[in-house]
This record gives sequence, structure tokens and C-alpha cells, in this order.
Amino acid sequence: MAHGYRLVQWTPFKKRYDLALLLGVVVFLGAYLVAGLAFTPPGDRPLPIQLALRAFGAAAFALLTLILLIGPLARLSPRFTPLLYNRRHLGVTCFGLALAHAGLVGLWYHGFSDLNPLVSLLASNPRYSSIQGFPFESLGLVALLILFVMAATSHDFWNNVLGPNMWKALHMLVYWAYGLVVVHVMLGAVQGEKSAVYAAVVGVGAGLVALVHVLVGAREARRDARADIAAADGWLRVGPPDEIADGRARIVTPPTGERIAVFRDGAAIHAISNVCRHQGGPLGEGRIVDGCVTCPWHGFQYRPQDGRSPAPFTERVAVYRTRIEDGVIFVHGEPVFGDEDVPPSVTAGAAT
Amino acid sequence: MAERSAEIVWLLLGGYLAVGLLVAGLTLLFGLRRLEPGASAMPLAVRLLIAPGLTALWPLVLARLMGLRAQEDRR
Repeated sequence: MAHGYRLVQWTPFKKRYDLALLLGVVVFLGAYLVAGLAFTPPGDRPLPIQLALRAFGAAAFALLTLILLIGPLARLSPRFTPLLYNRRHLGVTCFGLALAHAGLVGLWYHGFSDLNPLVSLLASNPRYSSIQGFPFESLGLVALLILFVMAATSHDFWNNVLGPNMWKALHMLVYWAYGLVVVHVMLGAVQGEKSAVYAAVVGVGAGLVALVHVLVGAREARRDARADIAAADGWLRVGPPDEIADGRARIVTPPTGERIAVFRDGAAIHAISNVCRHQGGPLGEGRIVDGCVTCPWHGFQYRPQDGRSPAPFTERVAVYRTRIEDGVIFVHGEPVFGDEDVPPSVTAGAAT
Repeated sequence: MAERSAEIVWLLLGGYLAVGLLVAGLTLLFGLRRLEPGASAMPLAVRLLIAPGLTALWPLVLARLMGLRAQEDRR
């Protein structure tokens, strides 16, 4: 949270996460190199540098695919949520792998040219009007630049400077990068392969990313279309308190504005914006820890009565008024940003 | 892409990054506190970590700094 900047806000979990990431990358690269040597006939066997540059490229693609799968998978099942906690390190690692791939490509394919290697990279294949012979390197280069910008702005400093919305918009460029990488691979490495395995793996990866995004999008659309507007004067029907697990929330969608997370903390009912100030995480999918609503993505916390992060942190989200009538919770769709606490509604004989 | 065009692309990119490096250096030395008050006591290692971002996003950084300056002047 925005209080004092450190290189990395290390926690034991993050250390384990990064160790697993490092091991995963090493195992992937090793397996790729061994498989490349073991399953290629001696006559077709690539040189070690060619194998290495392909291994780095494949690892970057695999990691980027994983990065894009984690977000929607975490929306589908909380079992995947811990993978979100340190996703930025995945992104930085992905950029590092892509940079290693690009560096070896530049060295091996353009380093011995009479031209400047950078100029050679863009000018050695001028068939921009052809599909099969398209200079796919330029697509990879643009994707690499996008990954660089994302890696360079992954620190929380940038989230605070740019604001969550602009930061999020900037990092949505990852989808453009992924699209460019898929075409880069399909027009590049896949064209030179006799086996269809490469194309199949890339196709399955990209297809999975598309599928989970469509599934989550459809679920969100169904949720937004649900009749949360059942009362007059801006009050939205939430449901009986005992339908909300203790410390958890139900998310409702007002006709305008952000979704609202209605939490039950014992007998107290609070309503708070569903959008975390950090990276737009879904607060309503988090839980109440130490009396604070805790974002499931990175653990940002907010007091449910006033939406403020506990001192010394300074983030703040909107809170909403609630009432209970005939055993049903209602929340008002207008956010409250005043200095006074919004008192919770209290359930009579609330379920625990 | 013709060689000349490729050279122009790299020249433009290099020029953009050169200006970015200048803006990043000046911001780290003189403008960080204005850009983000919470960064006034930022350790050197973190300053170096954010330098590539300042270089890449220098137009945004400059716009933000000038906007903040204008706000201060109005007060």
C-alpha cells in the first residue's frame, strides 16, 4: 500500500512464489533444450544458440499465456487467487525471457550482417505485403516494447503516479502484446517446423486464453443483468443476511456506477465499492480480515465503515448505506464519501 | 522495409529514449517529490527501478509534472 516505497515488499509467500517461478523457468528451459536435442534427427539438429533462442522465446510465450490465464481463472475459482499475488514478477520475468530471445536472435541472425544489426532486423526481409513470408520479427519487436513498458511500470509507484485507471489501461496492452506474439510465432517459428506440434501448442494456448476470458465475461454479464434493482428510491435488494457467509460479501450491480460489495461481519452489514484502489481488484471476492475488507489480489485493506485504509495508508474507496427490512438487506446505490462513518445495519439473530 | 526506413525508425526510437533518459534523470534528481509526494524518501535502488518507466513514459511524466506545477501556481 502507498506508504514508503521498497524494491519489493517481500513476504514469505512472495519468496516461495519467486522460487517456484525461477525453478519453473529453469526446468522449462532445460526440458526444451533436452527435448530439442533428443527428438531432432542429427541432420536437422539446430545449433545450441538456435536452440537456446527458441527455448527463451517458447518460455516467454508460455509464461505470457499463464499470466493471461491467471486473472480469469481466479475469477472462476478462488483456488487460483494466490497465483495473482505476485503476478507482476511473472510479467517482469516474461520480459526478461523475451529480451534474451531477442538478444540471441539479433546476435545470431543479424550480428554478422554488414548492416547495423538493428537495421538488419527490420530491413533484411522487406516482404511486408506477403503473409507467408511476412517479416515476423517486427511483430515480436513491437510486443517486446510493450512488455518493456509494462515491466518498467510494474512497481506500485506507477500505480500511484498514473492512477489506477490509467495504469490498468496501460497494462491492458498485454493483450496486444499477446496477439502480436501469437502471430509472430505462427508466421515465424511455426513456418519453419515440419511437425505440427508447435502450431498445436500455440493454438491451444491462445485458445485457452480466449476461452477463459469468454467464460468470465459471460459470467460477469449475467451478474450485471441480474435484477439487483428491486426497490424504489435507489435502494437495491441484496438478499437475506444468512445467504452471505460471515466475513464474505455479495456483489450487486447498481444501474450506474461501480459494483457494490455487501459484506457481513458477524451481525454487521457493510457496503463498500467493489473496486480496489490498487489495481481494480474485486473487493467483494475478498474477505474481512482484522475488521477490514481485504482485497483478494494483493491484500489492500479498507475499513468497511468509512472505506479508508488503516493508518498510515491513505487509500480510500466509496462506502454505501444499507438497511434491513423484513429480513432482507438493501443497499443504496449512491456512494458516500463524507468524513463520517456509515454505520452498519445490524441483523437480528444473524446467522454465523 | 527499406534500409533507410529502418534507420529512421531506430533514429526516432533512439531519440525518444534519449529525451526520456534526460527527463528521467532530471525527475529523479529534482521532480520526484512533486510527482509523488510519498516518494520523497525513496531509496536509491527503487529510484533506479523506476528509471526505465520514467524513460519510457516521459511525455506522461512531463505532462503530469507541468499539470501539478500549474495547480500549485493557481494556489
